[in-house]
Parts: sequence; structure tokens; C-alpha cells
Amino acid sequence: MNRTVLFVGLLIAAVLVAILFLGLGKDPSEIRSPLIGKPAPSFALREVGTGRTVDVTQFKGKPMVINFWATWCAPCWEEHPVLVANARMLQPDVQFLGVVFQDKEDKILGFLNERGTSYPTVVDEAGKTAIAYGVGGVPETFFLDANGVIRAKYAGPMSPDILRENLQKAMKQ
Amino acid sequence: MLAPLGRILILASLFAAAAGAFIGFYAGRTRSAEGLKWARRFAYGYAAAIVAATLVMVYALLVHDFSVSYVAHVGSTQVPTWVTVVSLWSSLEGSILFWGLVLGAYITIATFFTRGKYEEYQPDAIGVWLACAAFFSFLIAGPANPFHTVLSPPLDGPGPNPLLQNHVLMAIHPPFLYLGYVGMTIPFGFACAALIKGRLGHNVLKPIRESLMLPWIFQSVAIMLGGWWAYEVLGWGGYWAWDPVENASLLPWLTATAALHSIMVVERRGILKGWTITLIQATFLLVILGTFMTRSGVFNSVHSFTQSAIGPTILGFLAAALLFTIGLLAFRIDKLEVEGRMEGAASREAMFLVNNLIFVLLTFTVLIGTVFPLIVEAVKGKQMSVGRPYFDSMTVPLGALLLFILGVGPALPWGRANAAQIKKALLPPLIGAIVFVAAGYAFGARTPWTLLTLAFGGYAAQVTLGQMFIPMLQRMKNGDSFGTAFVDGQLRRGRRRFGSYIVHASVVIVVIAIAISSSMRQQMELHFAKGQTLQAGGYDLTFVGVEERTEPHRLSTIGIFTIAKNGKQVARLEPRMNQYQMMREPIGSPDVHSTALRDVYISLSNIDAANETASITVFISPFIVWIWLAVIALALGALFALIPPRRPAVILSPSAATSKDPVPNDAAAETA
Repeated sequence: MNRTVLFVGLLIAAVLVAILFLGLGKDPSEIRSPLIGKPAPSFALREVGTGRTVDVTQFKGKPMVINFWATWCAPCWEEHPVLVANARMLQPDVQFLGVVFQDKEDKILGFLNERGTSYPTVVDEAGKTAIAYGVGGVPETFFLDANGVIRAKYAGPMSPDILRENLQKAMKQ
Repeated sequence: MLAPLGRILILASLFAAAAGAFIGFYAGRTRSAEGLKWARRFAYGYAAAIVAATLVMVYALLVHDFSVSYVAHVGSTQVPTWVTVVSLWSSLEGSILFWGLVLGAYITIATFFTRGKYEEYQPDAIGVWLACAAFFSFLIAGPANPFHTVLSPPLDGPGPNPLLQNHVLMAIHPPFLYLGYVGMTIPFGFACAALIKGRLGHNVLKPIRESLMLPWIFQSVAIMLGGWWAYEVLGWGGYWAWDPVENASLLPWLTATAALHSIMVVERRGILKGWTITLIQATFLLVILGTFMTRSGVFNSVHSFTQSAIGPTILGFLAAALLFTIGLLAFRIDKLEVEGRMEGAASREAMFLVNNLIFVLLTFTVLIGTVFPLIVEAVKGKQMSVGRPYFDSMTVPLGALLLFILGVGPALPWGRANAAQIKKALLPPLIGAIVFVAAGYAFGARTPWTLLTLAFGGYAAQVTLGQMFIPMLQRMKNGDSFGTAFVDGQLRRGRRRFGSYIVHASVVIVVIAIAISSSMRQQMELHFAKGQTLQAGGYDLTFVGVEERTEPHRLSTIGIFTIAKNGKQVARLEPRMNQYQMMREPIGSPDVHSTALRDVYISLSNIDAANETASITVFISPFIVWIWLAVIALALGALFALIPPRRPAVILSPSAATSKDPVPNDAAAETA
């Protein structure tokens, strides 16, 4: 028996398998946003329909749900009713805000008129706000506590459960 | 109806593989001829069952039977038929079924072509193959079952991953990869059988070499196709990003390449037996590691399938295979007898050893870079990635060194050589090195690594061409005409030699093309209004306009550009943004104009259909096409080397014919 082969081989194998084992069970697509725990980047954008400027700092004092979306994204259509229903139910305790980017205002207006809404939607024309929030795709939703600190981020369409779970993180603070 | 049928066939394949594996090992231990016969029958039985199961799946996909769970996941009546067929391997469960199919084909071919030969090794080899097959059938039957019955089937499914529908290369890259990956099971089986028997006889080297070479060819092409696909589809102008899954395909290729070389030393000198066996086993283990990496959800990548329960199962198999292999090696490696010895440092066999060490070093470098983020996360809880700088700074010097050995190695004679012989062998190719450096300098190459690569490449090119045509030149010296000498010396007799040096020549081209294309690439960001013409790297780019095209499964916004050189239009490119119905983000598709000298590559970063403006990134990269072409030449060269040599014209003496280990004369003669 060749002891060197046995020991070196087992050592390499044990280290490799241990590393891979520790890697199991994590979701690599769950990118932990570096913004979590930090104050949300402030922005002031034009509201769709009314044209008035909505400044995010004006909502300080209550938890917020900021949802980045676009009319060309199918998962956004899917989550839209969930957001509208929850915003209606939770107001005035929680403020919802939609941020649309890479899109055109007439399309957004058409979408909202057709499907209804219960919270303001602003247009991020240059996409600067989306960049500040590190948005990688739509939909993406950020949950802010009453002090304007980001407590959770979710990439993908909202379901009632996902919304409740993440909102709790923001309400706890 | 189809789902239960598929499940029954998978269970049949699991039974055949498990029983066959058991019988194979038993027959190997008892040397029972009857047992071997039954092991073979079970091998064919496994293949038949898994082929039938795959056919059931293909049929279910084609008729859109959404009561089969896999079809409900990836099928769609909206997509073209070729996409429907391709979706067999587009998702996790189907890809494992496809793995089983390819393994069935390989086991059938290997069992059939080794029947009546290598009987000392065959039972254990079949045992190992079928044990692997049993594991994959178990995966298909349990954790990755594609044949669940959907009780209330949907009317239509979502269709496969849009990235897969985005380019036709995606239809051919995965099958090549599987043909490469899965095929490594066959030499692994032979290697294990040799260890179990404690003997690596000369006769078994031939099936080991051939069964390693064939998947190696597929693997080479698969890696190239993956790079080509990334280049044509992903839009960042490159073809290799050291993505964990790209690395996963490269790792077994590196060890297999090393093994293909060390086998020759075993053939010629009877040394490096244990080393060669270890390399072959490492190749298979790295294949399983790569399979784990793509399917466990541990690594994030364009390729990875979503996370699933099969990760732990594959990890368990990897651990078991590692234990089995290490145990086998530890207990048996010292039994493999050494027949010769290494002669001096300036010999061809010494260069083979250096080549092997570099390949192993490369393997470790890439492996550590790939799993390092996992270590950091486990220890520090931080997410990080090892970027290009690590891989580039480690692999570029090793790659250059390999190119150097590729030139020097074949120039040196086998065995001991005196100083005068060495000088005579090593000095003349310096001319090739100078010529290549001069040509590269004239073309504009300036970075030291590129010039060094050109020097090594020129050296290697001259040695390779010289060695390639030795048989023909010898025959012409003896008075044969050029035609006869070429046909006889290159095509008929010296196929293995000729093919191998075609492979070497292709490698020289690939390495030089990689060095030049990466060091001399120009990249520009341009913003266009409709009708505007801008200059980029000697080309005039004109933005003609925007076109929107609606297809059932996607919406494309296309930017139309014309490219002119010296006032003459040379191409019309249509980079686009594709928005698939089920995706969160649009997928950009670049467009490329390729010529022998350089590629013009346009990728859209922003397009506004209403205002008719577009922002693009233009890449102008020299020599890119030579990477793809040379890898195809490499594959053809290797295939040519695989064509079995004509039977020796001389009749073997009865003693040689019956001897257990006849030295394969023509193989030795061909590699001389």
C-alpha cells in the first residue's frame, strides 16, 4: 500500500468535498445588496399623469415599498395586482412607490389606466435612480423602514407572501 | 400514458446497470467467462432501456404532451421544432436523461469493440461503466425525474430558457460537451480495471488511448463552441470569462490532454504508468465535479441550472468516486511494474514530463481560482469572486511555457542524446521564431507577452511542420514521387503521427490567435443619431435606422448599421435587443462581421426606437476566426490520428500472435 498516495489523496478529497458541501444550500442568485442597512439613496422624480415632482424624503416617518418595474416586463404585470391590493390595504401606514425605467410615459399611463393603481408612480428617465439602487433587472423591490433605511431587497415578482415577509423586516425596525 | 412508460424504462435501465455492474466485478474477480458474457448483455440492456426512455421523452416533447412534467416545464407550442428538440437538454432533468443516453451509447460502443479482446480488463471495466450508469439512472429515477405525471396538464408551457433560443450554437454546444464529458467514463473504467488487476499491460494502452482521445476531441470542440457562443451572443466582445462553468469544462480537458501525452511515454518507455492512470482518473473525477458545479446551484453562471436537490446527490457520488479511486490507487499503484527509466533531462520523454507537470499546475490553478470564492465565503461569510486578473496572470505564463515545450519537445530525440545532436535539433527552429516575431511586429504587436508567444509559436511551428512530413520526405529521399510519398507516408502509414502534428499546428494557431486578439483588441463606445456616420478603427459605421420585429415568443428591437472601409460598404450588421415574454430583462444580441484578419463586432447598449438614436459598443479584434477554425482543424487532425492503422502486412509468428502482450509494432513505428 502506498501511504503517500492515500494520505495526500484523502486530504485533497476531504478539503474539496468539505468546501463544496459548505457551498450547498445557498442561493447564488440572491445577491445581498450592499445597500441593506444603509439609508436609501434619495431621489425626486416626475410622477406619471400629474407631472408633479415626488421627493422620496417626503415619506420619511413610515415604512416604504419601492418597486422598480417597466411595462415591457411580463413578471411586472403579474405582480401588479398584488402591489395595488396591498398598497390599498396598508395605507396610510405603509407608502408604496413605483419607479419605471427604460420605458415611455404614454405606455406607462396606458398600463396604469387599464389595470388601475393605488399609489404614485414616477419615471426614472435617465435610469439614474435605478443605477443608484443597483437595480439589475425588473421587477426589483426595496423595503425601507420608517427612517428611510433599506431593510430588504427582492429581485423578481412579488407574491403576497414574499411581500409580507419582506415588509415585516422593514416594519420591525 | 407516456410518463409511466418513461418511468418504467428508467427503472429497467437502473436495474440493468446495477445488476450488470455487480456481475462485471464478480466476473472480474472469479475470471468467469460466463459472468463476462452476462455483464455484456446487461450493458446492452442498460443502453436499450435508456435509449427507449429518451425516445419517449423526445416524442412527448414533439407532441406537446404536457402531462409529462418535463414537457410542462420546458415545452411550448409557440417555439420552432428545433427548439423543441433542443429542449431535451435545456433544463436540469432532461440534461441528466441526455447524459444517460450518451453514456448508453458510449458503453455500447466500448463493450462491442472490446469484445473478445482485453478479457483480463473487460469485466471490471464494464463493472465501473455500469456502476456510473446506475448512479445516473438512480438520479433520473429519483431526484431528477423528468417523467412525473402532471395531473391537470396545462394547455401550453413556457418554453425553454430564452438564452437557449437565442442562437443556434446553443443547439450544438451542449451535445458536444456531453459527448466529451460522458465519454471520459470509458477510459476511467479501463484505468480502474488496470488498477484492480494491478497490471497495465501494453495491449490495453490502445483502448485507453482511443477511448480517451474520442471524448477529448468532443470536449475540445465543445469548449470552442462555448467560447464562440459567448462571443456571438453575450455581447461583451470576448469569448472566455473564467466563469466557474467554463472552468468546469476546461479542467478535465487539461488532465485528459496531459494523459494523452503521458500514455505515449508508457507506450515507448514503460514508465509513468501510475501517473497516467492517475491523470485518467482525475479527468473523470473533474467531470463529476463539473457536473456538480453546474447543477448544484452553488455557483452562479450563465450556464447554471437552478438549484435543486440533486446537488447533494451528485456530491455524494463525487465523494464515493474519490474514495474508490484513492483507495484503488493507494493499494495498487506500486504493483504497476516499471519497465524502463528516464534518460537524461534533454530527451523527449523528459519534455513529456515537463508538459504533464505544466498541465497539472494549470489544472490546480484553475481549480483553486474556481473554488476559492467558496472558501472565502465559508470562512469569512463574505461574497467575493476571483476575477480575470488572477486567472490571466497565472495562466498566461503557463500557457506560454506549454507552447515553448510544444516546440522543444518534439525537436528532441527519445532517450539519450549528445550535445551535438541536441544543438542540431534545437538551433534551426530559431529561424521560425524570428520570422513570426518580425511578422507580428509588422502587424502591430507590441506587448512583451504577445511577442514572446509569437517567438515560441514560430519555433513550434517550424518544428511541427518539420516533424509532420518526416515520413514523406524519407520516402522521397528513397526515390518515391511526391504523390506516392505523400499518400503512403502521411495518409496511409503515418496517420497517427500526421494527425498529432496537425493537432500541434492547430494549437500553435489557437494560442497565437488568443494572444493577438486579446492584446490588440480595440473597444469604442459610440452614440448615433439616425443617418449619422462615425469612424471606428479605420471603418465608417453608419446608423441606418431602427426596426421592430414581433415574433410569437419575443419582441426584437434591431439597430441597423452599415460598415464601410475606404468608401466601400463591406457589411450590414443588425445588433438587437430581444425581449422574451418570460424574462425579466431584455437580452442583447450583438452582430459580427468576420474576416480573416479582424472582426468588427457591434453590441447595442441602448436603442431608442422613437427618437431613432442608438448607443453601441464596437469591438475590433484581430484574428478571432482563427481560434474557431484552428480548433476545428485540431478536431479533424485528432480524428485522423484515431483511424486505426492498417493491419501489418507481415504475418505474425505464432508465438507473437498468441503472446498476451504483443508489442504493437506499427503504433510504435508511427510515433517514432
